[in-house]
Amino acid sequence: MKSRTLYILLIIYLFNPVSAWPASQLEELEKRIRILESTKEKGPLQNSSTATGISRKFNPAMSFNGLFLGTYNDEGNYDSTKEVRTGLKVQEVEMRLTANIDSWLRGDITLAVEGSTGLEVEEAIVEGVITRNLSFKTGKFLTSFGKHNQLHTHAFPFIDLPVVSEEILGEEGLNEVGVGGSYLLPTEWYSEFTLQLLQGDNTKQFNGPAGSDFAYLIRQNNLWDLNDETTMELGGSYVYGKNSLAPPSSFDNETHLAEADLTIKWKPAGREAYTTTIWQTEFIGSFREQTQKGWYTLIKHQFAKKWWVQGRYSGYTIPNGPNRGDKNQWSALFAWVPNDFSAVRLQYNHLNQVTADENQVLLQLNFTMGSHPAHKY
Amino acid sequence: MKFYVFKAILATWLVISSWSSFSWAGLNVVTTTSDLGSIAKKVGGSLIKVNSLVKGYQDPHYIQPKPSYMVKMNRADLLIYQGLELEIGWLPVLIKGARNPNIRWGQPGHLDASTGIPKLEILSGEVDRSMGDIHPYGNPHYHLDPENGFIIARSIFNKLSELDPENASQYRENLDRFNKKLAEKISHWKKQMAVYRGTKIVTYHKLWSYFLNRFGLSILNTVEVKPGVSPSTRHLAMLTSQMKRQNIKLVVQATYYSSEFSDMVAAKVGGSVLTLPAFVGGTSKARDYFSLFDIIVEELRKVLPSNL
Repeated sequence: MKSRTLYILLIIYLFNPVSAWPASQLEELEKRIRILESTKEKGPLQNSSTATGISRKFNPAMSFNGLFLGTYNDEGNYDSTKEVRTGLKVQEVEMRLTANIDSWLRGDITLAVEGSTGLEVEEAIVEGVITRNLSFKTGKFLTSFGKHNQLHTHAFPFIDLPVVSEEILGEEGLNEVGVGGSYLLPTEWYSEFTLQLLQGDNTKQFNGPAGSDFAYLIRQNNLWDLNDETTMELGGSYVYGKNSLAPPSSFDNETHLAEADLTIKWKPAGREAYTTTIWQTEFIGSFREQTQKGWYTLIKHQFAKKWWVQGRYSGYTIPNGPNRGDKNQWSALFAWVPNDFSAVRLQYNHLNQVTADENQVLLQLNFTMGSHPAHKY
Repeated sequence: MKFYVFKAILATWLVISSWSSFSWAGLNVVTTTSDLGSIAKKVGGSLIKVNSLVKGYQDPHYIQPKPSYMVKMNRADLLIYQGLELEIGWLPVLIKGARNPNIRWGQPGHLDASTGIPKLEILSGEVDRSMGDIHPYGNPHYHLDPENGFIIARSIFNKLSELDPENASQYRENLDRFNKKLAEKISHWKKQMAVYRGTKIVTYHKLWSYFLNRFGLSILNTVEVKPGVSPSTRHLAMLTSQMKRQNIKLVVQATYYSSEFSDMVAAKVGGSVLTLPAFVGGTSKARDYFSLFDIIVEELRKVLPSNL
């Protein structure tokens, strides 16, 4: 009670014109108020009793993402092996844990459950800054092969992968165990140089027979502020590794993956919350005994605070050899995004391919709970 | 031939890297908001270079963590931000990407300007996202109380003197000059706003709490139904009937909000909408921390008499 009276008196004192008080006296008074405030807050200590005796305050930030999906496909209704088939499913549930490990390391773990069974480690990363401009990362992670490959499913610009990514890298993308570093070049614009040494397990492109068949990734990307409202990013990546063709064969078992990307983003000055336009294009190629290549281009446009309309085209081709063929995908999407934590998205795909053409309609609920770290730009 | 090419690349590399770190001996300060930038410039004077990431007409909640910001932060000696989770949606990503060990949490080049600020609207009890885009540790728009300018300036002065002790006396002079001018200005603004003490207004978002608290005004309610959540028709109907009953006619909002909902409300009650800069640079006339309040006070005084 006595400290409360003193507190009130100090408040009344302070309502005198501040200019009447010399700076040192002001500092003194503020220090005393701070002390009073902190002593008032001392009550029973919360969150301290745990089985380990260690405060919960050191626990990682925890968040969950969920993707619930309803699909209609005019093909393959009776084909149980078909991935995109009419039905309802939990597309994915993901749990993300992030924490500073100590003063030099930070940990970031993503556990994913695809469907309703089977917990997998999607990413388990330890990262840190070695020296000014140089950061490192190790663990299991989505590698820096292009822009789309680095995204978790709930952050995909569309509900599904573009056809070129799915065909060349597979459903899981280029997700490898490895170690890498990323260097920020001393330029006036953002320019980054990344090197990654990867285990090379990807079954579509790598997975060489020897334990020492690693994959080596290099990426360089640049981002410029064209003006206050617009940014442009230009990047390229290359990965070299051995694939699982049994030697000796008439072809060597080397895989060369290459990628180039261009992204332009626009947000009007002073109205950033209401409008956005994004245009992104990536060319991806796999050069080995059989060449595979393709590209996608997409546009996302936010036309009202909570509404987005989007379009995407993706083409994929095997230009020669016994598996010669094309696969093209046209997609249109409409989304209601009331805030950063939930979205309802409706997408239509038309697939042009060697087997029967398909028309797909996908409806997704995409939500996030908890302390989820912000996404990269 | 090959060696010549190598020399050329090396030379270009050296030119680029030395050009970008060209002879600036003073401190490189990066602030998130332009208000912190304005105050930092007044305390640091010509001894420091200040770069503010967010322009005054931008909503700090919707800033994207652009890599171009990371470049500025990579070169910084000091990062100053408002805190109270105002920048939580993008600043951690930028700090990580900046790859600058000096500006990370706990390091000398990291300053949370909310330390020492008497916070309003600290939430007690359970909080969760169903309450909207809330800041549990307090309303983060504390820069809109000009008396908090003294506290912000002193935090910045302490930090600058810690990082650059040789120039501490110059920073002290600048701080004293700033404090003197701010004190004069505050008593002038208080005199100008004195007649409106006790007035109730409506604001779009809970941005103005600190300003209204300082000058003795209060808000009836916000146009937003919850922070960051646009109003429903039911909320608008309830708000307009509250306003009519209590004869409140003025709706105040920041420049970076669309005014459609505020316009609807004002039309229903026969009042008006006042769009104000919420940060330095929010409008072209709000050039620094002093003129920001000059503009806000002047605009309020123009509009309040016909909306009482």
